Amino acid sequence: MADDQDDAAQLMDDIDPHLLDLLRTRINTFIKWDVVRFFHANPHTADTAENLARYIGRDVRVVEPELRQLAQDGVLEAETLADLRVYTLTADAGTVALLDSFMRACDDRQFRIKAIYHVIRSLRRERERP
Amino acid sequence: MNAPRVPTGIAGLDEMLAGGLLPGTANLVEGAPGTGKSTLAMQFIEHGITACDEPGVILTFEEFPEHLIRDAANFGWDFAAHQAAGRLRVLQTSPEVTLADVRRTSGRLETLIEQIGARRVVVDSLSHFERLAADPVELRLLGFELINALKRMGLTAVLTRENPALLGEMREGDDDLAYVVDSYLLLRYVEIDSAVHKALLVLKQRGSAHATDIRQYAITSHGLEVRSRFAGTHGIMSGTPVMTHTEAFAAAFLTPGKK
Repeated sequence: MADDQDDAAQLMDDIDPHLLDLLRTRINTFIKWDVVRFFHANPHTADTAENLARYIGRDVRVVEPELRQLAQDGVLEAETLADLRVYTLTADAGTVALLDSFMRACDDRQFRIKAIYHVIRSLRRERERP
Repeated sequence: MNAPRVPTGIAGLDEMLAGGLLPGTANLVEGAPGTGKSTLAMQFIEHGITACDEPGVILTFEEFPEHLIRDAANFGWDFAAHQAAGRLRVLQTSPEVTLADVRRTSGRLETLIEQIGARRVVVDSLSHFERLAADPVELRLLGFELINALKRMGLTAVLTRENPALLGEMREGDDDLAYVVDSYLLLRYVEIDSAVHKALLVLKQRGSAHATDIRQYAITSHGLEVRSRFAGTHGIMSGTPVMTHTEAFAAAFLTPGKK
């Protein structure tokens, strides 16, 4: 049984190591995945958490902490304008290229299955954390 | 001496505007859903990039840039290529962020305009500013502030605004913005003989002569086409025009098959 699980994990890890690291460390929730997909498709977006949540059809209370985390992880940039916290896609070319590779890879169903597996694992680990 | 113009690329419209919009002006295009406000605005940007060497920026408050780029492609306008070439930027944002941004020195929009050398801008649509202020006076001030910021950046602006009236009744009471803009174009639906037609009118163009007749227009596979004026009818802007006395007489007594 344990061997089967190891085999499955090995199979799921069989993706580009950069993308695997991205999934394990930065795009490790489905909300973050939605946000990254939106910014990838609309890269010149600059808006508040409230409006971004509206654009991706999610609750702002759920989206806002994820935006903050993405900004901390260098995927997004955050700045304060007047009393507004505004998020934009990072200007770092390397990160933009990595996100582009990720979104292209998502066109492949096999990759998506593996990516979903890693996000679920991350979420489970987060839940089990004491 | 003729003042320089900023052509929209819409043949009949440029003729109505005596050659085009005036540089550095704010121009309001108002109409009901589906009348082609956004198409007109995109055509203005496309013409600027491809025919006038004038890069452009589109600020969209509702439609996602990816959808706008797809819609433009349906008219044969390759906005994706323009963005890749650094000739166009389509920005998804909101009125509150835009205002906060243009109020500061070297804000994001101003920097971007300098980077690509933008000369034209579209704001689609101003109607979203209405959620920032319920008071018409405050709303007018916010609109005035945005328009002045765009002018400060040296841009010729096309600003769209929704008018919920499909036929007939006009916007009233809260129309202060019409005084602030330099030109005001109205797109309307008109019912004639149980068919819906589209009508375009230039209500004002500050500092320039302009056509005062009401023209028919169509949205074709390559954008807006402004055609001839409505003939033989009056009351076009009511949405349900009636025949002139001459046309009514001709229809009643001279047209074969009619009594």
